Amino acid sequence: MNKVFGKIGKTQPYFGFLVFGAILSFAPVLMNNTQWFLFAWLTIFAGFIVYAIAGLGMNILMGYGGLASLGTAGFMGLGAYLTMVLTVDAGFSFFPVLFLTILATTILGIVVGLVSLRVEGFFLAIATLVIAEMLRQVFQQMPLLGGHAGRSMPAFPTISLFGILEWTLNRNQTYIMLVIFLVIAMFITQLLFKSATGRALSAMRGSESAAAAMGISIFRGRLLAFALASGFAGAAGSLFMFFMPFTNPNHWNLVLSLFIFAVVVIGGVRSVAGTVLGAFIVFAVPQLFIARLPVIGDISGMDFVFTGVLIIIVVLFYPAGLIWMPAGIKNSITKLIKRKKGGETT
Amino acid sequence: MSNLLLKVENLSIAFGGLKAVDDLSFEMNHGEVYGIIGPNGAGKTTAFNCITQFYKPDAGKIIFDSKEDGMINLVGHKPHQVIGRGLVRTFQNVELIASLSVIDNLLVGAHIAFKSTLPEQVFRLPRARREEKQLRARAMEVLEMLGLTHIAHMPATMQPYGHQKKLELGRTLMMSPKLIILDEPAAGLNEVETVGLIEIVQRVTKELNCGILLIEHDMNFVSKLCNRICAISFGKRLAIGTPDEIKAHPDVQEAYLGKSDKESGGGEANG
Repeated sequence: MNKVFGKIGKTQPYFGFLVFGAILSFAPVLMNNTQWFLFAWLTIFAGFIVYAIAGLGMNILMGYGGLASLGTAGFMGLGAYLTMVLTVDAGFSFFPVLFLTILATTILGIVVGLVSLRVEGFFLAIATLVIAEMLRQVFQQMPLLGGHAGRSMPAFPTISLFGILEWTLNRNQTYIMLVIFLVIAMFITQLLFKSATGRALSAMRGSESAAAAMGISIFRGRLLAFALASGFAGAAGSLFMFFMPFTNPNHWNLVLSLFIFAVVVIGGVRSVAGTVLGAFIVFAVPQLFIARLPVIGDISGMDFVFTGVLIIIVVLFYPAGLIWMPAGIKNSITKLIKRKKGGETT
Repeated sequence: MSNLLLKVENLSIAFGGLKAVDDLSFEMNHGEVYGIIGPNGAGKTTAFNCITQFYKPDAGKIIFDSKEDGMINLVGHKPHQVIGRGLVRTFQNVELIASLSVIDNLLVGAHIAFKSTLPEQVFRLPRARREEKQLRARAMEVLEMLGLTHIAHMPATMQPYGHQKKLELGRTLMMSPKLIILDEPAAGLNEVETVGLIEIVQRVTKELNCGILLIEHDMNFVSKLCNRICAISFGKRLAIGTPDEIKAHPDVQEAYLGKSDKESGGGEANG
């Protein structure tokens, strides 16, 4: 019985998250001491980490809230711009900036959610797209934010302890800070999924009427998922700004939102590890590998083709996401072996 | 009448020109098992949806002896507020959550018992841990009563249909309700499973002292369980009485079997 149906809810992936974080943290060491981890790759990895955090928020919204948003880029952009303004113009240090940015994007998420969550499905996607485009217009028009050309800030965060002790991180340390926040985001997402609220969100997505009959307010559940997704996107935008230290409005467009959508679809809906895998595939693989291929690598827009083809393949063969590919392959192999052993069985 | 649990008064709802429930009234007492029967399309499920506030009735009152506030009118509540009043329901097509295990499905039924906030739950602070532990123990008690402890950690929707039906009933028990509404609990069950279900329902009413209101087609099932039955047809009440009275009632027979040729004057054929 157990072997047929398997057991769910028993696995504890938290240790794996820590190991994963530790492995990611080795990138700067490799870069400094070996030839094959290039200097530019660290930026690619930082990008992948940032988008993975936004993807985790998207997974809460999609996988648990059952909602689709095309506004992720807008909230990420808001996070990035807020980070710049709070750092440069208000003079806050790293942790207060990050905290205030997450707070502000979450609150905006709640406000937007209060208005737009009356609609669902396709309409919500459009509503969130409109919000993101409005934000982008604000980025373009406000002189403080640098307009179309964008604006930069001093590279890498400064950490301050009560204004007494202050030190600025270097590139490698900032990268490791990003890894730490990715692992924290993974922990929070996983712990949320396994909590009573996570169950309530699952119920809502599984059967709205059953959820309502059990006393779960559908609207509150959706609002929560939307607020969390906004907060995650804000955090991702803020961390992006601390590493890259430049932003312009065109970076935060619909294409980015769609890519983050693709992260969840390709990696694995309702899976933390799957989201991170998806972010790596969508944001790191094209630049790390495909751009280095002869001929194909020279065609511009190859990453779009790659992601597009991948989505088709995933939807066809692994609709739950690529994270289930090993299990799927293992399954087919055992089936194959059984068929050979047992002769003709249907 | 201090023993009154639920009183439905002149309940009506229409979809366009169709009066799905038309001036329906009945009342049931604490601890009673009450059945609603009627041919397909008689408006039974619609009546249930009105009582549980999934539909907003056009007219009528639903007076319920709630857990905390005594007699209240349920009309105007939101669907998710009804359970807090002590009234839980199941669905005709089993509505278990596919992505959750059996025990997690039961815990969804205890959702309103979780008082801890989201940060408390995410960071596993003492109150959230305590609640989780207590309610998990409660869920195991329910599973034990249903005889399903061995499947606690398996995916809920991969279980046989009979188990799923029991689980849905189990989910309603998590909050110790005063009234459970069952929409065709025996539909799709074989004879052995039906007998098992009858035993469980009888135990539930006895041990938890809660009333049960159910819709069922299986006359045998209804006769064995119910103290009283309300028969409806085309949204209207035909008769109320004990199972035997209902079986013998001419209007009920007519609604189920059609008029006999003699009575209807041999005029039209009833299919």
